[in-house]
Amino acid sequence: MMDLLLGGPDRLAPYLMLAAALFALGVFACVTRRNPVGYLMGIELMLNAANLDMVAYGRFRSETAAANAQVGSLFVIALAAAEAAVALALVYAIFQNLRDVDLDKIRSLNGEEP
Amino acid sequence: MNPILSALIGLFLPLAVSVFGTFTWRKWGKALDLLSVGALLVGAIATCLGAIELGQSGASVSTSVPWLWFEGTGIVFSLGIHLDALGAMMLFVVQALGFLVLVFSRWYLHDDRFYGKFFASFSFFVFAMSGVVVAPGLLQAFICWELVGLGSYFLIGYWHDKPEASQDPEYQANKPFYATGLIESKLSPSSAQFKAFLVNRIGDFGFLSGLALCAWVVSTWSGFHGGDPLSWSTLFGAVAAGAFGKVTFLGFSGAALLTLAGLLVFLGAMGKSAQFPLHVWLPDAMQGPTTASAIIHAATMVAAGVFLTARIYPMLTPEALVAIQWVGAITAFVAVTIACVQWDFKAVLAYSTISQLGYMMLGLGSGAEAGGYGAGVSHLFTHAIFKCMLFLGAAAVIHALHGIQDLNRMGGLAKKMPLTALATGIGTLAILGVPGFSAFWSKDAILAAASAKVSIASVNGDCTFGALIPWILGLGTAGLTAFYMSRQWLLAFWGKGRDAHAVDHAHDPDKPSVIVLLVLALFSIQAVWTGSLNPASEHSWLSGLLATPLGGLHATAVGLPEELSRVIHIQTMVATLVLLVFGVGAAWFLYAFLPSQGERTAQWLRRDPPTNLVWQWLANLWFIDKAYDWLFVEGLGRRGGKAVAQADLSKCFSLDRTIDEAAGLTGWAGRFANFFQSGRSGAYAGWTLLAVFGALAIVLLYK
Repeated sequence: MMDLLLGGPDRLAPYLMLAAALFALGVFACVTRRNPVGYLMGIELMLNAANLDMVAYGRFRSETAAANAQVGSLFVIALAAAEAAVALALVYAIFQNLRDVDLDKIRSLNGEEP
Repeated sequence: MNPILSALIGLFLPLAVSVFGTFTWRKWGKALDLLSVGALLVGAIATCLGAIELGQSGASVSTSVPWLWFEGTGIVFSLGIHLDALGAMMLFVVQALGFLVLVFSRWYLHDDRFYGKFFASFSFFVFAMSGVVVAPGLLQAFICWELVGLGSYFLIGYWHDKPEASQDPEYQANKPFYATGLIESKLSPSSAQFKAFLVNRIGDFGFLSGLALCAWVVSTWSGFHGGDPLSWSTLFGAVAAGAFGKVTFLGFSGAALLTLAGLLVFLGAMGKSAQFPLHVWLPDAMQGPTTASAIIHAATMVAAGVFLTARIYPMLTPEALVAIQWVGAITAFVAVTIACVQWDFKAVLAYSTISQLGYMMLGLGSGAEAGGYGAGVSHLFTHAIFKCMLFLGAAAVIHALHGIQDLNRMGGLAKKMPLTALATGIGTLAILGVPGFSAFWSKDAILAAASAKVSIASVNGDCTFGALIPWILGLGTAGLTAFYMSRQWLLAFWGKGRDAHAVDHAHDPDKPSVIVLLVLALFSIQAVWTGSLNPASEHSWLSGLLATPLGGLHATAVGLPEELSRVIHIQTMVATLVLLVFGVGAAWFLYAFLPSQGERTAQWLRRDPPTNLVWQWLANLWFIDKAYDWLFVEGLGRRGGKAVAQADLSKCFSLDRTIDEAAGLTGWAGRFANFFQSGRSGAYAGWTLLAVFGALAIVLLYK
């Protein structure tokens, strides 16, 4: 049991389990949250779970891929920052217009009046 | 000056002016004219120095930058500059004539509403034409070719808000019986520009097809090792090495396929150079400003077709050349007969341009052995000069008479505007082919080439009656040219003013414009072109410069024996001089001598001729425009559209039902998809998750 938790000699498994847990938390946040800020935090969690996976695999599985993995995760971080900026601006704009940011109520793209 | 650098100056200075002018002409129109005149002056000087540097015949420079890559095929289309004697000369003529016409336009358009716009469009036009002239391959030629069409579109529709005469009941009620011969009774400028563009589309379709055919054949040829398959050297090298013999396309192969490719590209030249049956746009293009017509008819638009035909000469097979010769001969003859009954000062010149372009094609089509290449290209240059001058003279007359273009209301202008009459008279003598003037040399060269082709055919033993016809049509055109051009000059400048009110206040243009006219008149003299006054001397500096080894299919072309060539030239000279005397004599008798014999004769001349069938046939332009109107505009366009609209197609093809079913299916698909689109973001995330799990399950289960 301890062997599995520590991941044997190369200790990869704990990182993967942590990443899976983070990802699950992110999905849970996205499915259940009605506040868009919470939703965005869920997305950030999922992105960082993926980052963690990449870096861990790079570190323990392939010497040559390590650099690729790290550069990739840097790209994801930059993308996440940009996405957060745009999404928060959208949330702000929605709030300005509707005085409300409840995601269940913002469904005018479905053809219903807001 | 480095020829490449000079070409770059000639290309990009006008382009810069036109881009700048497009945005600023409303505000700074008055300054824009000097800017564009200056740009073209610099361009003309630079290209002149470049041409001198390039020097002797046979030399050529080229440079290009890759533009379109096709990975893995080795095909790289490129843009660039290719100059040889032909290109350098043409580039200089375009720039220099552009400069002179712009100087004239400053006077001609000085109180016009759209003053600055003219200079912006004009600079663009000169840029586009220069692009065609320096093109290093068919592709750039085609691109700039389209830009030339666009430039002509701008210039023809310059007075875009001018209404059509047929919309004006007052004009329709008072129009004279000969109104079919007047430009003012025809299309509005905006319709005319559209017509020009549309007719050119037909030609450009052929050009593009021919271009694609050449690109396909050359790039699949075993001797092609990467690069631009459409550059002149690659294309002509492939043609000479028989690349077209190895492929079959639509049942054509070998020489037949090459003929097809050459004729398709030539179809483009037929559109731009207004060859029968695509000539109908050019007379209507007279709706633009007269100075724009001057450049369209001299150096840019219509010259592009002849220039392109000369450029692709190495890939034209003898069969293609026969077709080109026929097209040219028919064009020359049809246009010249129509010109005889036109009453509009500009319309006469328009049909005259068409017939002269027909001459150039007739010359080119006579073949390199017969000396047709040099003759056709020489006439391109000499014609550019004197036709430009004739149109500027027309602009001076029309401006002096405040817009009157009707020859019947002119007369006696020689006293009022002597310098214009002098310059236009020299231009008329030049186009008639009077000894000592430029067309005497170049037009006779064309007719001699047509005659030499017949001689070559008879030496080879395959001279049929049909082979004689282009030559006979060419000779007939020479006689009729003498008639209608002297008719025009006599009607406008000779005798007494028939409309005293209009003619009395006419005057010469201002000093710079008169100088432009006289400079062009000077260049209409033969000695400038041939370097000697001896008409029998056929070895001039110009044709010597153009005697570039042609390469391609004509690499082995040898001229006629000196003795035979001399005989043919002298025969042609005698024949054309006799025709010239008859033509001028007839015009003088009908339009100068008889009217001076009293009012009764003058009225007899002006009696109602619509009963005359020949007059009807010619005044209706051989019914070519009418036939197009009936067949395409009225028939296929209006009636066809109506028929489709009225027919109950739902019963024939169940078209309605098909459409209904398709709509129903779309609606059902929409409602199905709508089920997932609840609008709740959480639901979306859940669906996405479900889809991911589903995909994972499929991958893992069926691995």
